[in-house]
Amino acid sequence: MGTGAVAARPRPRLPVIGRLTRGLAMPVGSVLFAFVLGAIIVALTGASPLAAYQGLLCGGIGVGCTEGENSALQISNSIVYMIPLVMTGVAVALPFRAGLFNIGAEGQLLAGTMAATAIGVHFASWPAVVLLPAVLIGGAIAGAFWAGIAGVLKATTGAHEVVTTIMLNYTAQWLLRFLIIGGPLQPPGVFSASAPVGPNARLPTFFPNDSSVIVFGLPATVYRVHSGLIIALVAAAVFAVLLWRTSLGYEIRALGQSQKAARYAGVSVRRTIIVTMLIAGAFAGLAGAVQIAGVDHQMTDKYFSDTTGFDAIAVALLGLGSAVGIVLASLLFGALHSGGAVMQSDAGISSNLVLVLQALILFSIAANFLGAILRQIPGIGRTRPSAPAPTAPAAALVTEAAAPPEEASS
Amino acid sequence: MTAINDILHLLVTANLWQSVLALSTLLLLPALGGVVSERSGVVNIAMEGMMLVGAFFAVYADLHFHSPWIATLVAMLAGGLMALIHAVVSIRFRADQIVSGIAINIFAAGLTVFLIGRLYGLQDVGHISQNESLPNIVVPGLNSIPFVGQVLFNQNIVVYIALVLLVSTHVVLFHTRLGLRIRSVGEHPQAADTAGINVFMLRYGAVVASGLVSGLAGAYLAIGISNTFVPNMTDGRGYIALAAMIFGKWTPFGAFIACLIFGLGEAIYYNNSFIHTSQYLLSALPYILTLVVIAGLVGRSIPPAADGLPYVPGSE
Repeated sequence: MGTGAVAARPRPRLPVIGRLTRGLAMPVGSVLFAFVLGAIIVALTGASPLAAYQGLLCGGIGVGCTEGENSALQISNSIVYMIPLVMTGVAVALPFRAGLFNIGAEGQLLAGTMAATAIGVHFASWPAVVLLPAVLIGGAIAGAFWAGIAGVLKATTGAHEVVTTIMLNYTAQWLLRFLIIGGPLQPPGVFSASAPVGPNARLPTFFPNDSSVIVFGLPATVYRVHSGLIIALVAAAVFAVLLWRTSLGYEIRALGQSQKAARYAGVSVRRTIIVTMLIAGAFAGLAGAVQIAGVDHQMTDKYFSDTTGFDAIAVALLGLGSAVGIVLASLLFGALHSGGAVMQSDAGISSNLVLVLQALILFSIAANFLGAILRQIPGIGRTRPSAPAPTAPAAALVTEAAAPPEEASS
Repeated sequence: MTAINDILHLLVTANLWQSVLALSTLLLLPALGGVVSERSGVVNIAMEGMMLVGAFFAVYADLHFHSPWIATLVAMLAGGLMALIHAVVSIRFRADQIVSGIAINIFAAGLTVFLIGRLYGLQDVGHISQNESLPNIVVPGLNSIPFVGQVLFNQNIVVYIALVLLVSTHVVLFHTRLGLRIRSVGEHPQAADTAGINVFMLRYGAVVASGLVSGLAGAYLAIGISNTFVPNMTDGRGYIALAAMIFGKWTPFGAFIACLIFGLGEAIYYNNSFIHTSQYLLSALPYILTLVVIAGLVGRSIPPAADGLPYVPGSE
């Protein structure tokens, strides 16, 4: 095929649709790849992949249920799981754009839950109009503080944020254990849980808090889906505006492309690193506060093994670091989480299969297996532009993240 | 004041130092793996996952074959296989090595619990009987030396193996041609390639080696210490090993010293009957300590120059 023929050929599709399909090809392909490999793993252990995925589908979106599960309830559960994923997803994606790898969303989320619980319990008598914002903002500030430690260390000493945030995760986990096991947030006579936050510190649910009201065939109180969804969607929108419509967003993106170039463009590298981490931590802390105010209302031992902040890494990567992508990816992982429980009870397959799938998705995105496979196929490989890198600053991430910013030495 | 006296008293008991060395070994093995892998230029934060998979398969194989030796071999192979995935994804497919490492860790956590469900149903995994676990070796004669005898010559066999590996890793890395090649691949792969060194081969080897020793550490944890498997039993040790590696500035003996410090913290925690601070706050100590160290109070750690960079032949 000569070049003339290519140039003369009319564009087959609208450019927007073309861009959309190309943008979706990699994430959708990665998910499919993970599901195929996951099915093989399930089959190898002698279980039925069909039964497993039917359970996931039922628990995720209420389709194909065999045990008479209520579809509306499954969707409600999926959204409940999705809400913190959106905010922590943003907390990972924003630093990504600056070439920083925030593995600490989990610790920042826990910092948010601790602050939110403390405020919600101690000032329970305040009116909701004051207390609820205090709980949410308190959580965000705590998260920002936790991430800020990593940001300041990175900016001043060049300490790698991957290592510092891992350490901060564990520190937060142990601090949380201390607080509710023998610590100041443990009420007398209760083990491994805090007191519940006051009624004024709680986010309203979408359905009335009245068990005599029947919604979709079940009492309204079983639906836990809450107004934190709105906060999460607003957070995603704020992220998009911040990144693309503000000068800070420009600085963050410049930093992610090249620290050196950003510095020549007049961007203060140290300041941007710290501010980016602070904002990211605030999103993750907010996620923790929303979990307390929206669903859990108290800290329990389930937070010891919480993985939201790690799932957020997969969310940010699968969502290609864009706001819409993060929301869609959160929806997927929320549905997988919710589906895992149904799969376990219906098909008898551990809900931990969801973690395996998540890891496979991560491998697939990071390695761009599909791109590599497609490149092997002549014809497709030539006409198809190579898929874009999963995250724009990936190169900057590995090269420059390892070294302290040069400003530090001056 | 009594608390301080109690600590001082504890610090001079041989019991304490015996468990310091045992607990440090759990960290030393993956830390050595990390040193070798990162010296060759592949960032490895996956020791946690490789250890966990090693621990699971050690127990599975021991229950199946009733031999701790076969079990240890299986554990090392399992760890090595996980490392091979990390190697293929990050060397062949040039994936982001941190993402790949996280994926390994998530994969390990999910896979082990998934397999428990498939293999053992709702029951416990089951216990390893004492005579099928990795044995303690008492060195006759030497073990009667006061203090030193108990600390150094009455340990699990894996402790001795780890100490031999510590010395041999140091010797290989810094005093042999192979070590020079591994380091050159981690510092400047282009130059190494030009000099006729097979960059890919050395990196694959180094990463897989890190999986083998992490698997060994998992076996030690599961069938040498705990004699069973529980979900997520590595409990962040792979990450502390990572910290120890950085703490030790990517050198075997530096990492060992860091492991001893972390091991001391853990041993005091286990032998603690008198410090009236929450055990949970004490547990956070190694992590806070690492933060302080990384913050530069003990000098800056600089990773190998090409650490984390996929090698593309012909690139500048």
